[in-house]
Amino acid sequence: VQILINGIISGLSIALLAVAFQVVYLPTRVFFIGLAGVYAIAPYLVYTCLDWGMGWLLSICLMISGSIGIAVLCEWGSHARLARRGASSGAHLIASLGMYIILVQTIAMIWGNNPKTLRTGLDVVSHLGNVTITGAQWIILCSAVFLLSSFCFFLSKSSFGNRMRALADNPNQFALVGYNVDRYRLLAFGLAGMLASTASFVTSYDIGFDPYTGLHTILIAVVAVIIGGRTTFTGPILGALLLGILRAMVVWYWSARWQEATTFVVLAAVLLFLPEGLLGRKNRVDTAI
Amino acid sequence: MNYLLHILIYFEIYLVVALSLNLVVGYCGLLTLAHAGFYAIGGYTYAILSLNLGWGFIPASLAGAAIAAVMSLTISLPSWRLRGDFFILASLAVQALLFSTLYNWSSTDAPLGSWKNLTNGPFGITAIPRPRIFGQTLSSPIAFALFATIVTAFCVLVVWRLKRSPWGRLLIAIREDELATRGLGKNTRRTKIQVFAISSALVAIAGAMYSAHVRYIDPSSASLDESILMLSMVIVGGMGNFRGPFVGAAVLIILPEILRFLALPDAQAANIRMLIYGLLLILMMHFRPQGIAGEYRLQ
Repeated sequence: VQILINGIISGLSIALLAVAFQVVYLPTRVFFIGLAGVYAIAPYLVYTCLDWGMGWLLSICLMISGSIGIAVLCEWGSHARLARRGASSGAHLIASLGMYIILVQTIAMIWGNNPKTLRTGLDVVSHLGNVTITGAQWIILCSAVFLLSSFCFFLSKSSFGNRMRALADNPNQFALVGYNVDRYRLLAFGLAGMLASTASFVTSYDIGFDPYTGLHTILIAVVAVIIGGRTTFTGPILGALLLGILRAMVVWYWSARWQEATTFVVLAAVLLFLPEGLLGRKNRVDTAI
Repeated sequence: MNYLLHILIYFEIYLVVALSLNLVVGYCGLLTLAHAGFYAIGGYTYAILSLNLGWGFIPASLAGAAIAAVMSLTISLPSWRLRGDFFILASLAVQALLFSTLYNWSSTDAPLGSWKNLTNGPFGITAIPRPRIFGQTLSSPIAFALFATIVTAFCVLVVWRLKRSPWGRLLIAIREDELATRGLGKNTRRTKIQVFAISSALVAIAGAMYSAHVRYIDPSSASLDESILMLSMVIVGGMGNFRGPFVGAAVLIILPEILRFLALPDAQAANIRMLIYGLLLILMMHFRPQGIAGEYRLQ
């Protein structure tokens, strides 16, 4: 049971990031690797705010608004312009990769390459039967469950959520009906920035952070998106939970060294045998979704 | 003088890398992130064979090329069905697997190069012998530079001949419209296997040159960052023609050397270099998607 709980908790933090990725990918078709840069910079913002003597709450608020700002800047400065010129998805991906590199190198130049932590000392531990859960894990659990459920609620109930789904379904039709596509794209990027920064904060509160964790983590989140189904907003949550449990089991029964290899074997298998994912619509991989 | 020779050798290694990657990315239109894995396979094969079995450079690098060509099936088979972002992800999976294998194939209680401790894991392989050709060891930098030039010229010739052949035109046809090419009765799947095998074999030779020159190799040669660097070289230089890789390799080599003369603090120099690459990628995508000297725009 302990493995299962650990898996679910790490799956939830992957799920936050996977949803953040999907919230941009579905409506805009931008493979937003720059999100890895946002993910990397978020804990440094908290770290600096705390260093300047601000409280936790203010630091976290500043981190979230800073991350939203960076994500929106990526869209406004680069992706929106590329999209207006009808650039290919490859061009978006490469530009996004460039943005990631710039963000990470800036972090490394300002704060250095060394790993850092947000808290000192041992974490508080609570026991539920024979399961042990640390304080940091509680934070991940509560914030992820709150954010993911409010995201699902917002997506299915609010009119803004409906418009987001409509944009994902058919951007051209969405524009024809008279909505401002650019504004909704900006909002999607902002939402992604918020979710990614929260995911980053709760994870780094647990295990610490360094400038280079972002890309690796976002790739795992993308694997979760593929497993869950790349045509749905909620599929990634399921994919992330499964992936989290699988990764926890690999560590327990085999070795942490093979965690990555296992993750990517699963990715290859899903791409080849179940390209639409668990919850996705049936579609050929090479057709536009 | 040694400094210039060193730069020349690096330029040649990167040139072979860029030429081979351009075959896949520029001519065939498939963005791959697994290239560094095959580069490392070449480097490791040379290191292990020369260190443990005393093989010379030519047989050892050819063995590396053969292994890389066979391993390239892991990436060419997914390319049958996947395109665009999803092919890139599949290539990333291959890169992660190759990296994990090189990183984990080690054991502390077995000698280096034995079956149980083939790659020495994260510590890498040190004291790789200098290359031996026909029984002669190339110990001076100038001899190695000359030899590297010959090997590079051979690789350039191979790519040049391929590019001008009907097979090269078939690659471009696949890039432009795979379905139409199949409609014309061309076997596009076989061609994809071939292009990945050739490209991986060439980059494995570059990897062997690298490990023979530096005399040390570790799994970071197969890392994602290395793949991204290779890709940016091709994208910045230009895709889909013969000049692009020359420009890309030159930019990659000259930029750090210029920065070196600007007397930047050591701790920041590597970061600034990477930052400029990142900026170049964005600027290229906005203002010149085909790269400095390229012909093909990324799809």
